[in-house]
Amino acid sequence: MENERFIRMQETTGIHLAMEVEETLQQLQDFPDTPEAMDYFFDFFQKLFGKNHRLPDKKKIIGTLCLQVPDELILAAGATPYRMCSGAYAYDQIGAEFMPAKSCPLVKATTGMFHVKKERWPQQLDALVIPTTCDQKKKSCEILKEMGYPVFPLEMPATKESEAARSYWQESVKQFTLDLQKITGNKVTRKKLREAIDLKGKGGRLFRKLHELRRSTPPLIFGKDILLVTNAYYLDDINQWCAATERLLMELEKRKAAAVHVGQRQAPRLLLTGSPPIFPNLKVPILVEQAGGVIVADEVCSSNRLLYDAVAFDEENLNDMVPAIADRYLKPCTCPCLTPNTDRQRRVLALADSHKVEGVIYQAFSGCMPYEMEQKQISTALGEAGIPMLYLETDYSPEDMGQLTTRVEAFIESIIARRRKAA
Amino acid sequence: MNRIKRALYNSSVSRFRFHIQWLAFVLLVYGGYLAINIGDQLPTFACVFTDYRGGSCYLMGFQHQMALPFDRLFSGRGIGVLTGLMTFFLFFILLNKAWCGFVCPLGTIQDWLSGLRKKMSVRYSTYSRSSFRKIGKIKYIFLTLLILIPMAINNSLFGLPKLNHDFAVPFCMICPGRTLLPIFQGDFSQLAIDFSSKTKMILTALGMAITGMFLAGSLYKKRFICLFCPMSAFHYIFAKAALLRINKDGSKCTRCGNCYRVCDVGIHDIADDLDNKNILKDDCMMCFKCVEMCPENDCLEVKFLGLPVYKATEEGFFTRMGRRGHGK
Repeated sequence: MENERFIRMQETTGIHLAMEVEETLQQLQDFPDTPEAMDYFFDFFQKLFGKNHRLPDKKKIIGTLCLQVPDELILAAGATPYRMCSGAYAYDQIGAEFMPAKSCPLVKATTGMFHVKKERWPQQLDALVIPTTCDQKKKSCEILKEMGYPVFPLEMPATKESEAARSYWQESVKQFTLDLQKITGNKVTRKKLREAIDLKGKGGRLFRKLHELRRSTPPLIFGKDILLVTNAYYLDDINQWCAATERLLMELEKRKAAAVHVGQRQAPRLLLTGSPPIFPNLKVPILVEQAGGVIVADEVCSSNRLLYDAVAFDEENLNDMVPAIADRYLKPCTCPCLTPNTDRQRRVLALADSHKVEGVIYQAFSGCMPYEMEQKQISTALGEAGIPMLYLETDYSPEDMGQLTTRVEAFIESIIARRRKAA
Repeated sequence: MNRIKRALYNSSVSRFRFHIQWLAFVLLVYGGYLAINIGDQLPTFACVFTDYRGGSCYLMGFQHQMALPFDRLFSGRGIGVLTGLMTFFLFFILLNKAWCGFVCPLGTIQDWLSGLRKKMSVRYSTYSRSSFRKIGKIKYIFLTLLILIPMAINNSLFGLPKLNHDFAVPFCMICPGRTLLPIFQGDFSQLAIDFSSKTKMILTALGMAITGMFLAGSLYKKRFICLFCPMSAFHYIFAKAALLRINKDGSKCTRCGNCYRVCDVGIHDIADDLDNKNILKDDCMMCFKCVEMCPENDCLEVKFLGLPVYKATEEGFFTRMGRRGHGK
């Protein structure tokens, strides 16, 4: 009886997820002037969720939540890193069973996903690495362990300024390296780690090129497309992702040369920050760009924060490369679970400056305390710089679409009015 | 022009430095054999005790001059002291602290020892922030002493009795340059304790101990001795007037800390200071590894007479990181 209900729940969730994915992809493709090279990414997500949401067909998979898990080490240990934060409303509804009603939809959806998949995934995953970032992610460790997942909490400090925090994190990453060797049965060698750093570095470099191209006025590509590309980065095979992104870059370079652009010529240039948009939850970016804005930059952990920074080591030995990797995931990190997090304000302001941003969209998932609480700091800093900000509290459900659209449209109108006044 | 600039910013200053370092080493340690001598007021450790040297360290002459009785120091002889200082100053402002990173033979020896450690895959050690701060002060104490001790030979300071003449060049007696550099010409005579007087015995014994620390220390800690160096403290007095500069644009900094992590002397401020444009700190040796490893366009910049000669670029960073043999 119990089992039957579970199977039925699995089936209906699967159907809901497929519909949700279908709809999001449809919305993404409904925009005019989508680069042809984007087809790869549409197909990728179609295949990933289409029939049955499955893990990739790889031998050793290490699931990760949060961007602080050093992928380089996992790759060097001969396994595949796979970030499993979920953006699906279908899973969100299931997760509600395990968490308080007011908790973060991202953690809820992720927990829900793991529940739905609890028959096979615990065996298919070699480990599920969860950094001790926000309280909800931390607590989900216990819930997921209960479900039978091989949970590995990666201890992370709550600050990054002090020397103690830095060495604590370095020690934690070093221990992780040793444990990874046990989990995978492979040795992390100097050569393999160097190759992994190069591989991830290549991905980061390509992202930086995209980021640079987004400075063009008028814009060459919509932000919703960029977010789809960066979402694919942590799910796709990295070599294939690089090849596809190179094709996209080439197409954008051609567009630039031919002066082709997207959106209205005078479309307001916006920056997206806050809780991460994770496919299929691209609700806010799609809505913003449907309303006439273009997201030319972002400061979210599923895109810029994930890909921008690069590992720099001084000596090509494990004893310097491993701490160098640790540093890369902590020192420049602007995750709001850290305190103080003034670097995030500085980062948003620097991006606003480099990408000629006229307004900022701040997305906070209701129940996502760190982002909700940092809203004030960011809006004050932006206010001082004379950049308007729109704070949107939302979740994964489609119910608030109407009111969000109205507010976004008003915000875009006000930017255009401001511009007129200035001229 | 843009292509030249791009090639320059993509280049590796560390490689360039490696070659300049051995060239400078040959010039300063063996210059005498080629009848080359570039002067006696060099702002770097070209040791006077090396017979066929290509130039000499200013600190030796400076200590001698400080030993003059005050009435002579503040008379006509004083002009000689001032011209010496002026010559030193002119040499110094040309390269600023790059004298340490590119020219100093003791610095070069330490870098070679670090290279050896790297080959043996031994992890380098670092100081904690508080020890770094404490150790950093020692060089100023050395600098003060190397002025006060010679002064106390012919003058009675604060009514204390005068020191004996064996204290003439106290810093040279404890400097590892005196013991080590002559060895490169086959002269091991300085590597000994001088028992001719009590003062000399104490000073040379200290010198031997410091030499031992220099060799052992720099095998584990990059540029181990530089934090203690009174020449470095002396440099810093004049550094604001130098022609070669290193600037930072704090607004471009993401505080990723790459610069600090590759810094051989371990200067935290290079990553943490977002306000000062002139980022040169007293321990800096201007090796410019921080500029090499900074991935943010124009964040760190090296300027000579106001003209950019090297700067941080994203392309340069990735080019250098991707180069085979980086970090070997």
